[in-house]
Amino acid sequence: MSEHEVARVKVGIVSCSGEEIPEGTISRLACRKVLDELRPGRTVTICLPLFIAAGQEERAFTAKFPTITVDGCAKRCAQRSTEALSGKPAASLVISEILCAEQCNPPVNRRNLTKHERMIVDVIAEKIAQTVDEVLS
Amino acid sequence: MKMPTDKVVVIPCSGIGKVYGALSREIAYELAERVRPDTVLLTCLPLLMIADEQATQLVTENPVITIDGCPLGCAHKCVESRGVEVAKTFQSISFYVAHKDHKPEGVAELDETGRKLAAIAADELAPVVDELAGGRVK
Amino acid sequence: MSEFLETTHDKFLFKVKTGILYSKDDFWVEIQGDQAVIGLSDFLQKVRGDVAFLETAEVNTVIRQGEEAGKIETIKATFGIISPVSGTIVAINPEMESSPYLINQEPYGAGWIYRIQLTDWTGDQTSLLQPEPYFELMKEKIIQETEKK
Repeated sequence: MSEHEVARVKVGIVSCSGEEIPEGTISRLACRKVLDELRPGRTVTICLPLFIAAGQEERAFTAKFPTITVDGCAKRCAQRSTEALSGKPAASLVISEILCAEQCNPPVNRRNLTKHERMIVDVIAEKIAQTVDEVLS
Repeated sequence: MKMPTDKVVVIPCSGIGKVYGALSREIAYELAERVRPDTVLLTCLPLLMIADEQATQLVTENPVITIDGCPLGCAHKCVESRGVEVAKTFQSISFYVAHKDHKPEGVAELDETGRKLAAIAADELAPVVDELAGGRVK
Repeated sequence: MSEFLETTHDKFLFKVKTGILYSKDDFWVEIQGDQAVIGLSDFLQKVRGDVAFLETAEVNTVIRQGEEAGKIETIKATFGIISPVSGTIVAINPEMESSPYLINQEPYGAGWIYRIQLTDWTGDQTSLLQPEPYFELMKEKIIQETEKK
């Protein structure tokens, strides 16, 4: 398999870590669900701080493979960092915007999520998985 | 130089690939929500890395504790990269080493044992928070 | 020749240091006169994860190739330090007691584990691998690890 072919079968997910906000927890959990359950083997997690702090492995991966950024809020740390360090992401999602479009109440907890917040995780994870398929198609 | 303050900023690892990242975050949440809710503030690590003005101001004006998930020390390095000296730095693995009977599991979310370990760690860090808050904690 | 042979799997970069030898159990051996320094390969430390606890045999312990010279515990597993050579342990890395994470941070440098006085080098070396064949073996092991998941 050529390097070009390899590059089309993997995608890097750059998640907001958002320790301060509930959307950060949603982002982390949704991204992990995609990585572990919905699209395992086709997705790779990119540690955002390590990526920004010149992590050799994260930067080498994003230089070669497409990326999807998942941000918790409009500050878009993941997207802005990816654009600055490895070029335009293949797709960029913002959780607050998705929830607004879906007319879904925003999360309020950073941990010990409620049933509603667990449902939000599932909605976002499905959205990310769809985006993975679009990027790799 | 930092002015006297009764707030302490805690910045955990942001990793989503290892149990120690999840442990770092849970310790920070325990501190901010249960152990010292009136003193401890959190901020997002990536915000500092994109030089967000408010986040930078927060760590500039208040003492900072970092809790890293691995020896790469992103949290610690990141705060220092903003020209801010970290007051105290910890690695979450050290709490497991100190409490071997509490083996944490789970990458996305900690299991029950991991949450207990985080609670123990947060209780152990409370005096550090109090000291940094200059005895102004009630 | 460059200092490392390298291969990438997903985002993970695996390195094999050149100029030293390897056991099939993924430990490296650096010969220094009639002694050898022993450590974990980059592959082994990456697959096993962050080292939390390390127990080693004491100085003056006599050990045969293939025997355990200690145990390492990570969050994922506890596994033996399988000595790649025979001899008498003459030193344990003093940094290991307080900083076992050096095994993860610098597996081929500051993360060395023990130094041993060789007693059967002629026999031992026949089962050790040069970096290139170990590199090929490591690539097979990476695929096996991936298939396990």
